[in-house]
Amino acid sequence: MRQRGRRGRIFAIKWGMNPNSSSLGVDVTFLLVGATALAIVTPVIGALLRWRSNKPVAAVDDKP
Amino acid sequence: MIGLVRSVVERVRAARPMRRARLERFGAIVQLAWPRALVFVDRAMARRVTRVAAEPAAWRDAETELGDHVLSAPLEAHLQLTNRCGAGCVGCYTGASPQGAPHEWGLAEWTHAIDELADAGVFHLALGGGESAVLPWLGELAAHARARGLVPNLTTSGLEGQGALLAIADRFGQINVSLDGLGATYAAVRGFDGFARADAAIRRLRAVKREVGINVVVTRHNFGELDAIFAYAKDRGLSEVELLRFKPSGRGARAYAELRCTDAQHRAFLPTILAAAKRHRVRVKVDCSYTPMLAHHAPDRALLAELAVYGCTGGDFLIGAKPDGRITACSFAAPPPPHGDHRPLVTELAAYWQAPGAFGAFRTWREAREPCASCTYHALCRGGCKVVSAHVNGDPSSPDPECPRVVDARPAQAHRHLPVI
Repeated sequence: MRQRGRRGRIFAIKWGMNPNSSSLGVDVTFLLVGATALAIVTPVIGALLRWRSNKPVAAVDDKP
Repeated sequence: MIGLVRSVVERVRAARPMRRARLERFGAIVQLAWPRALVFVDRAMARRVTRVAAEPAAWRDAETELGDHVLSAPLEAHLQLTNRCGAGCVGCYTGASPQGAPHEWGLAEWTHAIDELADAGVFHLALGGGESAVLPWLGELAAHARARGLVPNLTTSGLEGQGALLAIADRFGQINVSLDGLGATYAAVRGFDGFARADAAIRRLRAVKREVGINVVVTRHNFGELDAIFAYAKDRGLSEVELLRFKPSGRGARAYAELRCTDAQHRAFLPTILAAAKRHRVRVKVDCSYTPMLAHHAPDRALLAELAVYGCTGGDFLIGAKPDGRITACSFAAPPPPHGDHRPLVTELAAYWQAPGAFGAFRTWREAREPCASCTYHALCRGGCKVVSAHVNGDPSSPDPECPRVVDARPAQAHRHLPVI
């Protein structure tokens, strides 16, 4: 997914939340519209992440 | 149009406090509350969108790609809060009963577990049973999860405890009702006529909550009804249809031969559900065990990866926990062997996660045999459902016997093993 280099890169977007307590549910609705639609959405998500990074969250780090 | 834009902006603003992030060796996972998503980013982007220490522990080793290594913690935990349920479904994968399981945990233990999961950076909970809606402390537990930054989600049969559930529905991110067929098909799959009660629960939940969907265990009996199920979801204004493959677990092990889908149905699965989703304009989700059936149609691998479509990620992206707190790789799997003097508990996640051999075959999927080893989707699919493999082949690390590619390879392999006369 796009935006290589200094701007960084989005590897994947897992949409929605999984209420199913027996397996990992993934939204495959995007398979209907293909990579083009996702290529449009991904920069929007990237912009949303950056827009809200003026108050960035502290990330949970790995074990010290 | 202006109203729509205003609505989007309001949702994004309202969702602001929910944002969380967790560092990973490849970069970070950032949770967005609206749109509801987990975004996997590399280190460069992680530095831009999260607050990162100069040299975080998670980034000591060289940067990798998503999927190259086990995550630092699961994305979600599937907590089977109880095994109590009076429905008696013939294919119940937990073998639930009105008595429940021995030594079931209560509110205090599950609260402690949620604290541990929050400290590890887990994002989502999927709460299930049995029937968790009957637990008098379910709302308190969901509120605690919210307070610790986790999003609790719930699956219910819609058959019990619905009055209390309506009052606490707003504490859950998503609530799905199990609905394995419409009308008489429901009875054919579950062994009793519960459709009217489940439908009533769906209507009541939808009246108080937008994020309500249905979970459908796909069997050979309801496969032909999938389009009608999507139409039903549209008619009820549901947010999603989540399709689950039938697993030979619990009472489902006995019903597996009769209820599992045929090979032809598995091959037709993807076009069937996409056509139904398109026709009725309903979002569709599929469970991890369906990845071999998606790969059968050779979709764009990069697109699958970008949608985080993976096969078996038990003991990696997800974990399960039994009603007595024992940790599992997924809800269908048996608890791992003892670690030290007892089987690991979900409250001991941090210690067990990085233990040598943790989660056994669930983490050794790279050591695949044919036809998985040469499959171009193997890095995503990871060999299919290990629970089905264990039941059919007696070996969880063997290729998923219901994968079309595995089925196609079978005659050739059988031929090679014919005795020479």
